Amino acid sequence: MEAAIVFYGLSFFMTVLSLGVLFNPNPIMSALYLVLTMIGVSLVFFMLDAGFLAGVQLIVYAGAVLVLFVMVIMLFDLKREVYTFSRGFFTRLLKVFTGVVFLIILVKSFFLVPETKELLNSSTQMTTKNLAGLLFTEYIFVFELLGLLLLAVAIGAVALSRIKGGTHAE
Amino acid sequence: MLSSELLHIGLNHYLGLSAVIFVIGMLTVLLRRNLIVMLMGVELMLNAVNITFVAFSSFNQNMNGQVMVFFVMAIAAAEAAVGLALAVTIFKHYKEIDISAFEQLKS
Amino acid sequence: MGSDIVEISINAAKALAIFLMMVQIVPMLVWVERRGSAFIQNRFGPNRIGPLGLMQLIADAVKFLFKEEFLPDKKRRLLFLAAPIIALIPGAVAFGAIPLSVPIHVEIFEFLGQSWGPYRFAFQSVELGIGIVFVLGISSLAAYSILLAGWSSSNKYSLFGALRASAQMISYELALGLSLVGILLIYNSFDFAEIIAQQQGSLAFQFLGKDIVWSFLPNWGIFYQPLGFVLFFVAVFAEANRLPFDLPEAESELVAGYHTEYGGFKMNMFYIGEYGHMLVSSALLVTFYFGGYNIPFVTPDQVLAGVESFLGLSSTGSSVATAFLLHGVFLVKVLIFLWVFIWVRWTLPRFRYDQLMDLGWKTMLPWALANTILTAIIVFIFRTQWV
Repeated sequence: MEAAIVFYGLSFFMTVLSLGVLFNPNPIMSALYLVLTMIGVSLVFFMLDAGFLAGVQLIVYAGAVLVLFVMVIMLFDLKREVYTFSRGFFTRLLKVFTGVVFLIILVKSFFLVPETKELLNSSTQMTTKNLAGLLFTEYIFVFELLGLLLLAVAIGAVALSRIKGGTHAE
Repeated sequence: MLSSELLHIGLNHYLGLSAVIFVIGMLTVLLRRNLIVMLMGVELMLNAVNITFVAFSSFNQNMNGQVMVFFVMAIAAAEAAVGLALAVTIFKHYKEIDISAFEQLKS
Repeated sequence: MGSDIVEISINAAKALAIFLMMVQIVPMLVWVERRGSAFIQNRFGPNRIGPLGLMQLIADAVKFLFKEEFLPDKKRRLLFLAAPIIALIPGAVAFGAIPLSVPIHVEIFEFLGQSWGPYRFAFQSVELGIGIVFVLGISSLAAYSILLAGWSSSNKYSLFGALRASAQMISYELALGLSLVGILLIYNSFDFAEIIAQQQGSLAFQFLGKDIVWSFLPNWGIFYQPLGFVLFFVAVFAEANRLPFDLPEAESELVAGYHTEYGGFKMNMFYIGEYGHMLVSSALLVTFYFGGYNIPFVTPDQVLAGVESFLGLSSTGSSVATAFLLHGVFLVKVLIFLWVFIWVRWTLPRFRYDQLMDLGWKTMLPWALANTILTAIIVFIFRTQWV
């Protein structure tokens, strides 16, 4: 009963906040709604007994990625947009229609999932230690590959945003 | 009974939440014109997928789902970094962040 | 929260008390900071109102409350008013997750014709198995209040201060997180209580399967992680935006940084946020590197036995007495670190911005990585059974 109230309240707020990202014409408000949505996602992880991922979600998304978004928007000094949405009445209608159809397909497909099991709290398998064990044994190759990807991305981002001749030129 | 199904939070509830957020993120990418807000839509979609992974992982008692969430998070952070770097470069060039300004292939 | 009415009400009161503890330490620290800075700079400081100038706190509070409210821009008013409130949240929430003493065990007792208990009350608001990740995640949200304050002030200097502050916080968060990895490797846990439990008694470790005890040193984390301690200490200063890293509010360049446009009680809330950050940082330093609430060379069980035989209380009473005694020890350690924060602020000059970034990315990050790798190798050598 309490779990149901918490879940429905949380999902209501998350839906409203992500609709705020979609509809608010002010990009900075969009970003702030997204921050709150991310905190909501972290709470959902917590409810699903994945505490470590909830913390990482807070650190990575709310603490780092979205701070970057907010910083970039503030640097550009973006104002409230005059043209928020893409042009063309029928195009818009088609896009919304696509979204709704996609939602219906997704929700329908969930009922193909075999009947759900109980959420077992604090089972012996679902610990952070096991997560680390999987990450460093079975998925070690993917993990190393990810490190390589991050290196490439770091170099790429620096190369993209670099001013020619270094930061102190002109 | 419908009411008992509604009150008993199971896997399908979490999947439904993630579907709603995914579609909102998708509509953000489709409908908005601001490049940065579109990137935010992508982040929303990735997070919806993360909720699905964690929900399946918790209900099936299988840790592999959470490992996937790890990878998705790392890739999302990388994507955001590159996307924002591109946005900064484009903004410096055109003084404009509207996606329709980037239609031409030559500057 | 708890299973019956007693447990729920005590847990709620506990959470409130811990929040109030964070809020009420701020005026004390302001007084210590002003008197301490005067002492360091060979001045008097506020000494007119009350004994030792202690009533200055109340005078300040009254002044803050009755200042004229002024709001800059109509469009951004909501965020302008929200920013100081957001500044309070990370410190308050993060402080609730740090254990301040040993848990209190209450035996079964009779009250109002019913029997209650047995209970176990942790000396913290929430007990989390992943405490460290939680505290790091919550305190990484502190950047938002600064960014919002700077942006919604519609002031160039405020915006510059806010952007500097958030860039600085993101940069130093890396070094902060990495310097903790060594502690995690050694103590093998994300749980504060478990980390503190492994720091009791005198220095003892296993080397190549042999037990080695150095009875002249307490079993504190700093002796296992000296480099990690230095890195964490520096990174914590940068995270709290204090001198020598207070670039966001460098007076000579930016008027007052992100809170230029704030006055009265709203500015006071930023103060509370900053001092809350200091308090959390000191508590973390004590927890990771200085044995938490442990008395050096003595384990909490010995303290409990000593209290029981010395005071002759019941088991519940001695548990409460032990918890408050150890809480006093914790507070003394935290207050020492708070004084170090103030001491450093009035001793060191400010960094230039490029020096700050160089220090963060080119010095602290590589050293933190080196510390992690070195600790991993040493832990591997020490823990392996070499035949």
